[in-house]
Amino acid sequence: MTDMTPRTTRRRVLAAVAAATAAALALTACSGGAGGTGGGSSAPGDKDASITVFNGSTGTINENWNPFSPTALQPTLGVIYEPLFWYNLAETSDPTPLLATGAEWNDDGSELTVTTREGVTWSDGEPFTAGDVAFTFNLLQKTPELNTSGTAATAEATDDTHVTLTFPEPDSFMQEAQVLGNQAIVPEHVWSGIDDPITTINPEPVGTGPYTLKEFSSQSYVLQKNESYWIEGKPSVQEVRYISLDTADAASASLLAGEVDWMSSFLPGLDQMLEGNEHISYVNTPALTTSIFTCSNADLGCEGPQTDPAVRQAMYWALDREQLNQLAGGGFAGTGSPTLLLPERDTDWIADPAHATTPAGADVAKANQILDDAGWEAGDDGIRAKDGERLSMTIQTVSGWSDYISLNDTMKQQLAEVGIELEPTQLAWNEWNDNQVKGSYQLSLDSIGLGASDNPYYTYNGKYLSANSAKVGEQASGGNYARYSNPKVDAAITAAASTSDEAEQKAQYAIVQEEIVTDLPYVPIYINSTLTEFNNATVTGWPSNDDKYAFAASWKAWDNGIVLKTIQPAG
Amino acid sequence: MTFVARKLGFYAIALWAALTLNFLIPRLMPGNPVDQLVSKLAQKGQVTPATRHAIELLLGADTSSPLWKQYLDYLAQLAHGDLGVSVTYFPAPVTQVIGQTLPWTIGLVGLSTIISFLLGVGLGTLAGWKRGSWLDNFVPVTTMFQSVPYFWLALILLYLLGSVWAVFPLHGGYDVYTTEIGWNAPFVSSVIFYGTLPAITIVLSSVGGWMVGMRNMMVSTLSEDYILTAEAKGIAPGRIMRTYAARNAMLPSISGFAISLGFVVGGSLVTEAVFSYPGVGSALLSAVNSNDYALMQGIFLVITISVLGANLLVDLLYSVIDPRTRNRS
Amino acid sequence: MSISTQEPQPPRTSRAREVDGATPGTPDAAPARSTARRRRGPSVPLTPKLVVGLAIVAVTVLFAVVGPFFVADPSRVDDIGLTPPSAEHLLGTTQTGQDVFAQLAYASRGSLIIGLVVGVIALVLSGFFGVVGAYAGGFVDESFSLFSNVMLVIPGLPLVIIISSYVPNKSVWLVAVVLAVTSWAGSARVLRGYTLSVRSRDYVLAARVAGEPPSRVLLVEILPNLVPLLASQAMFAVIFAILGEAGLSFLGLGATGSFTWGTMLYYAQNGLALRLGAWWWFVPPGLMIALFGAALALINFSIDEIINPRLRSQTRRARKRWHLDRPAPVAAGTTDTPTEATA
Repeated sequence: MTDMTPRTTRRRVLAAVAAATAAALALTACSGGAGGTGGGSSAPGDKDASITVFNGSTGTINENWNPFSPTALQPTLGVIYEPLFWYNLAETSDPTPLLATGAEWNDDGSELTVTTREGVTWSDGEPFTAGDVAFTFNLLQKTPELNTSGTAATAEATDDTHVTLTFPEPDSFMQEAQVLGNQAIVPEHVWSGIDDPITTINPEPVGTGPYTLKEFSSQSYVLQKNESYWIEGKPSVQEVRYISLDTADAASASLLAGEVDWMSSFLPGLDQMLEGNEHISYVNTPALTTSIFTCSNADLGCEGPQTDPAVRQAMYWALDREQLNQLAGGGFAGTGSPTLLLPERDTDWIADPAHATTPAGADVAKANQILDDAGWEAGDDGIRAKDGERLSMTIQTVSGWSDYISLNDTMKQQLAEVGIELEPTQLAWNEWNDNQVKGSYQLSLDSIGLGASDNPYYTYNGKYLSANSAKVGEQASGGNYARYSNPKVDAAITAAASTSDEAEQKAQYAIVQEEIVTDLPYVPIYINSTLTEFNNATVTGWPSNDDKYAFAASWKAWDNGIVLKTIQPAG
Repeated sequence: MTFVARKLGFYAIALWAALTLNFLIPRLMPGNPVDQLVSKLAQKGQVTPATRHAIELLLGADTSSPLWKQYLDYLAQLAHGDLGVSVTYFPAPVTQVIGQTLPWTIGLVGLSTIISFLLGVGLGTLAGWKRGSWLDNFVPVTTMFQSVPYFWLALILLYLLGSVWAVFPLHGGYDVYTTEIGWNAPFVSSVIFYGTLPAITIVLSSVGGWMVGMRNMMVSTLSEDYILTAEAKGIAPGRIMRTYAARNAMLPSISGFAISLGFVVGGSLVTEAVFSYPGVGSALLSAVNSNDYALMQGIFLVITISVLGANLLVDLLYSVIDPRTRNRS
Repeated sequence: MSISTQEPQPPRTSRAREVDGATPGTPDAAPARSTARRRRGPSVPLTPKLVVGLAIVAVTVLFAVVGPFFVADPSRVDDIGLTPPSAEHLLGTTQTGQDVFAQLAYASRGSLIIGLVVGVIALVLSGFFGVVGAYAGGFVDESFSLFSNVMLVIPGLPLVIIISSYVPNKSVWLVAVVLAVTSWAGSARVLRGYTLSVRSRDYVLAARVAGEPPSRVLLVEILPNLVPLLASQAMFAVIFAILGEAGLSFLGLGATGSFTWGTMLYYAQNGLALRLGAWWWFVPPGLMIALFGAALALINFSIDEIINPRLRSQTRRARKRWHLDRPAPVAAGTTDTPTEATA
């Protein structure tokens, strides 16, 4: 365990260094810190507009601006520090160049040459160069404790605007999104002086992003406009305050009272709550596919009726997704796809249009047919059985995830129609997670997260590649909790990863999709809503469904920076 | 002096037992902090086996050494006042997290406990003195408040006084928008303003207990012979009430008060959750939810020590006030 | 216990001292001495408080026992969603169209089961560690007392989580057992103090000198005197359990998959019932807890008056009849006489 004394000393030294090199910043911070803007938001049309953001943080906030740390405060990534490129996951689009202006692979996919942007300065006034990029990746490579993405590239700056990343293995194309879009670049002149990049909280962050740190307390912190930001005239909002709230009730009350301008909370009955409130609007950007995870592979030790593909198919058809959306999803959920992609965003990646979307209502006849054919016969109590095994499965979810609990209640009723018995259980998060990772569950309600880019590789590799699975009882850290194993799928994913040709990738993904829509180790329910609420009284230009210039959620790393530099004071 | 020595020995054993449980409990819980962080990252983006490896290295997760060795290390660290590093708030040390949250809890829950005690004892004294008066008949009503689920009452009051009539602020410990932490008038007054509604709810739900206890003791004491003697001597009723009756009747309440002060640092998870108050309780809840062993242990330790300390204080006080305690047994 | 899910509440501790034998001033707060030997407990005067308390408890218990047989499936979802009370749904429906009245019936059953189980277990544990320890004295007493004190400072909340982590589904039974395990220690201390004072009474000493076996002394001479206190402690345990369960549920740590007043409130809160004006969902469970708790408290008042006859308050009417302008202590003593006289 860490001894306290050296830490305090080190931090003091570090602060001194930072203060010396960043005298200008320190001065502005001091002079600006005295007053305050007054109220939750400033008046409309105010040139010095400030907004308040609730990004989901609860309880006490602990200061940590270290962009390498998994516990860094959310605006560290994207708002204070920037990546080379930014990937918009809200819609299909090319990566937006930020600190880089271009990137190119060599033929065998072992070297990536990045051209960095000129005219960018760090918030302490030092110029940004390719050397900083090289330093960042080399620091990562040298320090396995920080390397949460497993990036193995070594970097070399060939001149002030070019840096070459060398990967240990060829065909590293799929590292691209991770390296370019998911890594904050830090200044060499500051970080080379930090003795312990692992535990530093980086109290005076020096970044290239649109905002810099103004003040911090354990209940709220304020970022202020970076006057020397590399896009002229941006950002337009002077200050951004982040606060912490403990419950959805507190969040909804604050929103209605005008104390919060931007937050992402699922609020049941949102429309009713917002009635007569002209300034508050919301946008719904469904992105995470809520699915029934099944422990599907008997060979790896899974037990229960769900190891029979027919049972999984029957569940797929027997669900009335409209009713589920209405009762559990608040009517906000989007339609999912059996390919586990997002039908709207990923149209180009879904090979067979027939697999684009899940059915809306229940097809009881079809589900019954599938079960009859597979030999599951109706029993006296209405529940089917086969060879003495009742068609009854437990489905686990986390206690407190009320929409998932409602889903279970409703699905139980729907599946009973076709003779499937569902036994919902609710567990503590830890245990639920442990069960999934170790495979000791039958069915589990969870959602499929966003990848590093919109390339299906990130979903398919994690969820379906057998290398990312493990025997029941062992940890499947890679994410293949269903214990799915299919040589055809393995081969296709590997082939797709080894090319940068999208047409070829699509052909490979078609093979994957053909297999998974029949095997269904993850039974998609719907795409869960992501509701983001805005107050338009102070600022305008929030992302909307017509203009998905960024993922709207206030908790999303990277996209926050894009949104904050796009919005403008109202009036 | 053997009495004091025995008491101290007794508390030493209790402390040791509590510390040992404190050590064992988190280690029996399912899951581990590494998984917790990995899954948190998984929600942000891609997670690979490398992620897990990196976090294991980062946290220095040392589960390989035998339990007895971990136990000895734990005791040694405690002896040095080192409570380890929090996982939830990595790399902040536990002492820092506790240091940040404890003042809020002590301020809110401590003050409310004191107010509730004074109010309850005062009203209880009057109710016992004027038996059958409206105040005395009011006593059962106050116990009704005690039976109301605290968070239910608090949420309703918060909804009415915070949203419908916007008299009180909705959340937090102070006005983060316009004030800065420090010994300045705006901050202090804002802390008081923000603490008022939570304090009122705590007082409402706990004042009844003090009141009943004090009232009953008062009634018992009033039937003592020495009160009769005092009355016969013609001492003013007010003086009898205050100096003769209340003083003696208050003894049990005072010991109860000392003990409940010991529980103050445990904070109130529920109050802090309802009002988004930045105290120890909310830190403990997030520690439990993220398997943050070190933080949980640190908070338990503070609670355990203060509860034991308060009990010890009461025992010693009693041995001074009431010599019979020492002679018994 | 030390992590209170309810607000810091003094009564248990202050009561502890109040009836603790060590406390000065309550030597004769004991039930009517040898009365107990002949009559198996003192008479119970039917005060209005007691009547109201018993009536509420009876109605609630009846509702919990019989109610579930007459209502629909409380988990049954319906497309109608959140609707206010109507003829079809007496207390309206939840967000998923579940009938609130049906849930309330099942929840009453769940909560009362928790209360009952906790009451019984806490009674047995506190009786064993408090009464037996105090009676046996010496080393047994010391170690029992040490154990109780350690249990008092164990944080109950994490214990709930650990124990439940060994069981796949946190049922009401489990939550009840956990609450009981973490809640008996306070009453054990109270009982110990009281037993100590009863043990040193002359008639107990006499019985021991007369050669009665210890078990008989304990069961026949001492225990009857403890009955009112045990009852009052058990009732406190029941209130504590129901409130504790509600608190745990509010934090998302309560019973899962079964209905209790606490889980109902939890789902109502999660569904922002209050903000959406759905009072029919949020108010009834809380009100049930409040009423039931208040009823037990009223009964406890009556028990207190049995334990300590001086507490029996005179009504205004009675005082007027006696022409007393204020309840003089002497008068209080006088009103006690009838009880004493039955001895």
